[in-house]
Amino acid sequence: MTRLVSFSFALVVVLLSVPVFAQTASQVEFFEKNIRPLFANNCQVCHNPQMKTGGLDVSTAEGFMHGGASGPVVDKTNPAESRLLKVTSYDERIKMPPTGKLSREALDALRSWVESGAPWPGSWQAAEKRPEPAKREFNEKERKFWAFQPMKEPDLPGVGNEAWIQSPIDRFILSRLEQEGIDPAPPADKATLLRRASYDLTGMPPSEQEITSFLEDDSEDAFDKVVDSLLASKRYGEKWGRHWLDVARYADSTGNDEDHRYPYAWRYRDYVIQAFNDDMPYDQFIREQIAGDLLPADQPGQVNRRGTIATGFLALGPKAIAQQDKKKMLYDVYDEQLDVVSKAFLGLTITCARCHDHKFDPILTKDYYSLIGMFASTRSFKDPTTHVAKLLFTPLVPEEEYAAYTAHQDKIDDNKIAITNVVDEQLEGYSNSLSPKLADYMLAARKAGDGASVDDVAKANGLDAKILGRWVEYLKPGSVPQPHLTEWREASADDLEEIAQSYQQRYRERLDEWHARLAKWRASVARSLKAKNMPPPMKPKFVPGEDRFFHEVSLVKGGPFALDEEDREKVFSREARDKLAELKAQEKKLKETMPPEPDMACAVQEGEAVDQKVFVRGDHGSPGVDAPKVFPVILEGHDQQPVATGSGRLELADWLTRRDHPLTARVMANRIWQGHFGQGIVRTPSNFGKMGERPTHPELLDYLALRFIDSGWSIKQMHRTIMLSSTYRMSSKVSDQQNAADPQNRLLSHFQRRRLAVEEMRDGLLAIDGSIDLTMGGTLQTGFGTDRENSNKRLSMNPDEINRRLIYIPLRRANLAPLLNLFDFGDATTPLGKRPVTNVAPQALFLMNSEFVSARARNLASELLNDDAGDESRRMKRAYLATLNRVPAPDEIDAGLGYVSRLKQRFHDTTEDIDAWMSLCRVLMASNDFIYVD
Amino acid sequence: MEPKRPKLPSNPRVTSRRAMLRDAACGFGYLGLAGALSDAGLLRAAADGMGASPLATREPHFTPKAKQVIFLFMHGGPSSVDTFDPKERLFRDAGKPLPIKRPLAFDDQPPGPLMKPFWTFRQGGESGIPVSDLFPHMRSVVDDLTVIRSMVGEGVDHGAALLQTFTGSSTFTRPSMGSWAVYGLGTENQDLPGYITIKPALSHGGAKNWSSAFLPGAFQGTAIGHSGLKIEEFKDEPIEYLVHKGFSQEQQRYELDMLQNINRRHAELRKHDPELEARIQAFELAFRMQVKAPEAFEVERESDATKKLYGYDQEVTKDFAWQCMLARRLAERGVRYIQCTHSYKWDQHSDLFRKHTQNAAEVDKPIAGLIKDLKSRGMLDDTLVIWAGEFGRTPVSQGGDGRDHNPYGYTIWMAGGGLKPGFVHGATDEIGYHAVEDRMHIHDFHATVLHLLGFDHEKLTYHYSGRDFRLTDVAGVVAKKIIA
Repeated sequence: MTRLVSFSFALVVVLLSVPVFAQTASQVEFFEKNIRPLFANNCQVCHNPQMKTGGLDVSTAEGFMHGGASGPVVDKTNPAESRLLKVTSYDERIKMPPTGKLSREALDALRSWVESGAPWPGSWQAAEKRPEPAKREFNEKERKFWAFQPMKEPDLPGVGNEAWIQSPIDRFILSRLEQEGIDPAPPADKATLLRRASYDLTGMPPSEQEITSFLEDDSEDAFDKVVDSLLASKRYGEKWGRHWLDVARYADSTGNDEDHRYPYAWRYRDYVIQAFNDDMPYDQFIREQIAGDLLPADQPGQVNRRGTIATGFLALGPKAIAQQDKKKMLYDVYDEQLDVVSKAFLGLTITCARCHDHKFDPILTKDYYSLIGMFASTRSFKDPTTHVAKLLFTPLVPEEEYAAYTAHQDKIDDNKIAITNVVDEQLEGYSNSLSPKLADYMLAARKAGDGASVDDVAKANGLDAKILGRWVEYLKPGSVPQPHLTEWREASADDLEEIAQSYQQRYRERLDEWHARLAKWRASVARSLKAKNMPPPMKPKFVPGEDRFFHEVSLVKGGPFALDEEDREKVFSREARDKLAELKAQEKKLKETMPPEPDMACAVQEGEAVDQKVFVRGDHGSPGVDAPKVFPVILEGHDQQPVATGSGRLELADWLTRRDHPLTARVMANRIWQGHFGQGIVRTPSNFGKMGERPTHPELLDYLALRFIDSGWSIKQMHRTIMLSSTYRMSSKVSDQQNAADPQNRLLSHFQRRRLAVEEMRDGLLAIDGSIDLTMGGTLQTGFGTDRENSNKRLSMNPDEINRRLIYIPLRRANLAPLLNLFDFGDATTPLGKRPVTNVAPQALFLMNSEFVSARARNLASELLNDDAGDESRRMKRAYLATLNRVPAPDEIDAGLGYVSRLKQRFHDTTEDIDAWMSLCRVLMASNDFIYVD
Repeated sequence: MEPKRPKLPSNPRVTSRRAMLRDAACGFGYLGLAGALSDAGLLRAAADGMGASPLATREPHFTPKAKQVIFLFMHGGPSSVDTFDPKERLFRDAGKPLPIKRPLAFDDQPPGPLMKPFWTFRQGGESGIPVSDLFPHMRSVVDDLTVIRSMVGEGVDHGAALLQTFTGSSTFTRPSMGSWAVYGLGTENQDLPGYITIKPALSHGGAKNWSSAFLPGAFQGTAIGHSGLKIEEFKDEPIEYLVHKGFSQEQQRYELDMLQNINRRHAELRKHDPELEARIQAFELAFRMQVKAPEAFEVERESDATKKLYGYDQEVTKDFAWQCMLARRLAERGVRYIQCTHSYKWDQHSDLFRKHTQNAAEVDKPIAGLIKDLKSRGMLDDTLVIWAGEFGRTPVSQGGDGRDHNPYGYTIWMAGGGLKPGFVHGATDEIGYHAVEDRMHIHDFHATVLHLLGFDHEKLTYHYSGRDFRLTDVAGVVAKKIIA
């Protein structure tokens, strides 16, 4: 892709009046001598015709006159205000040249040249050109693009084979097949259908009991009952909630640079699961995720708890919180929020328009910034300006209640700080008491080093023998070079006294500084404990480089003036000790009476309303025209009333959930369809734009979307509508005719076989051996912030070692569990409409070798052996029912039993019954029959 | 050499760009790469042999200079002005204030004064390229190095800088350079992963730095241990799930035969689904892998002389020597892209003299050993070795005797793989803060690496989310001057 060539708006060239004055010879000379070399040496590395950094080329008169992306760099009417002078003055955010400010002479020359009209020799022939953004007019093709047209109630197509029709859906499918002369596949057998429905709706296999009862149920509505009971299962929300979490790029940490935990992310995850289980109307689901915090609570005076949690959709994206260009950090976050909103709900890639108009779709840069303004007016950080930005956590209780909690917490913290203060004061007192004797110690150590006994010298000089002993050791030359002791070691006897004094003097200054720093740290700990969203700052480490002598003497363990841990209390005063005891008793009491921590959420809050500008070429340092808060022009036209107050999120939610919105219902209906058939009617579920696919059955898509809205946006109703069709119940077997006519099965002549997703595979295996833990909700992650760079704690938990459903295992974005990477989970960072399916050897290694699969196989084998000892073929049937959810054919039973006995025979030394059956179970679990759903 | 036009797709199913996009099984297609990588075929291991596997060897756009890459990553950011970029003025003006306005730094405190480099620079080899006394061993191989003194990145914090170094973007999740390399070239040894990262860092982006992002998962880097582990803790099972615990190999083969019987029966009942056969093949491949791969990791098998060359016989160099020897063994066995990481040791905001000395002691000899070893085996000709941190460090002091991050002008070196040996490229300003000559932005660096691997970086693209992505985003200029 070449850069920026396809700016498709016309550049309207305005010819301005040509400067009337001719350049004098002296002006030419001035330019050639002072200005041209200045540009050449300092600017043209980047601002040349090839690179044109910032759109500016200063190598020619034309380039210079044209200016950069934000217009001409010289202001003819008001030269002093010229951008060229501003950026070179280094007074603004953008400072040129970046390698260092120009010399005063150069700046003076530049200023006088600009003020004299910036005469460029020969330039009077060059017209001054200024681009003026024209109103972008959409062409016919763009305006008529299918996805932007209103939904239309389709006529139900007629079909030849009326007997096949069980649902209106079937008419759309069959009529197309009949047109192409393709026969639909016969119905799937019952066991296959049950397995399919069960994994589709719950992500789990049917139990033996469910299989038997369905196979025995001959009633007309046997399958209807199955669908209803699967939809009523709590497992449903865990399966379909996960589909949504893919779209919402859900994870439990910020990823990017620091990977800080989102300690309350799980509440959003649980909200999603609950919303699916409750069949929350989809329009409400959208409204809550975008603006739930702004919607009224169920009861007056309460916080809208559910709605606040729902905005985790916006709040839980990846964030580069250590990015030092804080404005860039914020706009990257807004971009990310708009990206997830536009892909999830609209199926549009709006964020492609950040730097230039969208290259493929009629989305303007201005549309982008109009929407960005809504997120820029929304808070995602408690404090974005700190070195590592602070994340925002929102209490889910009324303010007073939260205030009471924090007040109590503050008391504990104050108490803790009081304890620290007493201890530090005592320690500092001890240090201060020693520092005036430093010179004495050094001089005494010299004497003791010269052969006198340490004890004697100490006694003679009124010094502590233990400390003096350490001084002697410390001052002895060792193997590590100590340039800071050179002066002392090389001092002549005459100078010793004076040099010792100078060491003492420096030491005392450093000690004071260090104590001051500790005091500052204590203050910031106090502040941070009050703020409560980050771990308190670490105790400052004295930087040894600042003063190696001071460091080694007083801070290194065993240093001459360092106090050993066990000696601490001894030097404390009696008052201090009493005070400490009192404070500790107080602390205990406060902790006992502490009210429980109120629930919190990772959510967004309404921020200060921002009047967003277009950023030229996406550069937040180059604001351009206003971008009032309106919706994309291609959908809503030019005449819109901009959002007047607030962030505009409520208006955005209203707009998205309008019944006549051409995208919202279609996009979701398509996602649901895809969840059943592997492919959507539009096969690019998050891109309904030009580079996406066209619908294979456009009328069917509209039919589904309209029924979706009619049903009150009921997702469960959509499942019923789809699953009770003949289309859904077809076999996955492909005939030669079908394969020849439609190898990709775009027309759905048969059910598309699909591989289990990683959750289905893993949770399914745990269900098969009965070890799955079906506890719902809550969090397995603890703590705030991040971890040491090389700590194992930075890894996501290993799903091989936890028996909860996979959806409940926290996702550390920077280090997802290898199992997830192995089986195409996605990156939990970008909205994922459809997971890729790869087929590689390391996946096979997991099934062949992992302890996880072996444990499942062993458990199942032992259950089989325990239950039905004696009847081997019944045992084999149960193995098949448990893993493949069907009754094995006689030849399969024979083959299986043959394998078990041959294995025992062949490896009789090492293979017991349990080993052989375990091996057979592992084979079934690793088989294509298990991993693919027919 | 002039790039040749890439071969047109030869797969008859592929008719046009649009058709490819439409046909892509999972919403992605590939554009601009030679034919073997067809849309759906990319995902399918081998209904028709390995030809269609995502990891099968593929021809690049033109004849490559380098067939494989070994990236030696110095996490934290070694100081350039103390190692490969001597600055007279820093010796002369030490203690004076920074003469220019400080660009965006990581530190939010005012900068310290210019700080003198701690080590003496001496010329090495025939080329006479100066290297400081911090790296005497690297100096001894400097005639084989191409020193680039004008690197420029955008991240002043580690996270952004690592992400950009490895993926091109300092902000977004994008495929890593190794993933692009394997996506483009496949790999030569199907018994080993094509992209291996040894002891990678968990911090500063963690797995994002070796992820395939939206490229298929087959192009993800395979991590061998991680920065927090000792070699002993993972060397018996370097690749996850590689070792079977329980059955003997013979028993396991017996079990696999049963599995394949069941799978074949299953496939016979289901026609026209190449995925089923592909998965049968994947199990065979996995079995071969677990038999053959462990040998590649048996670094102990190296001769005593080789171990000595890398410093494996000394405690201080042992860890990195192991990494470097393993890198060579993997390269020898046809692994396409290998990374060694000396994790998060080089971030000396203070105490730079002591810590840099320790760090250098750990890596200097192993790295020189690797270069010598590759050379003596004739491997340096087509192996590209890269030595880099995520940025350099400032000419001004921080914390008394340390230096802050500097992405505005820093040094890396490359070796082998078709580069001019014993060559210095680019320059920083006279204090070593900003690159001023032949600036090589990280995008340019990526473009150059892809060029050496045989790719026009503008044409190695992947269609995702409505547009074509590439490693170099919308930038990147190949540094032709450094290519032999």
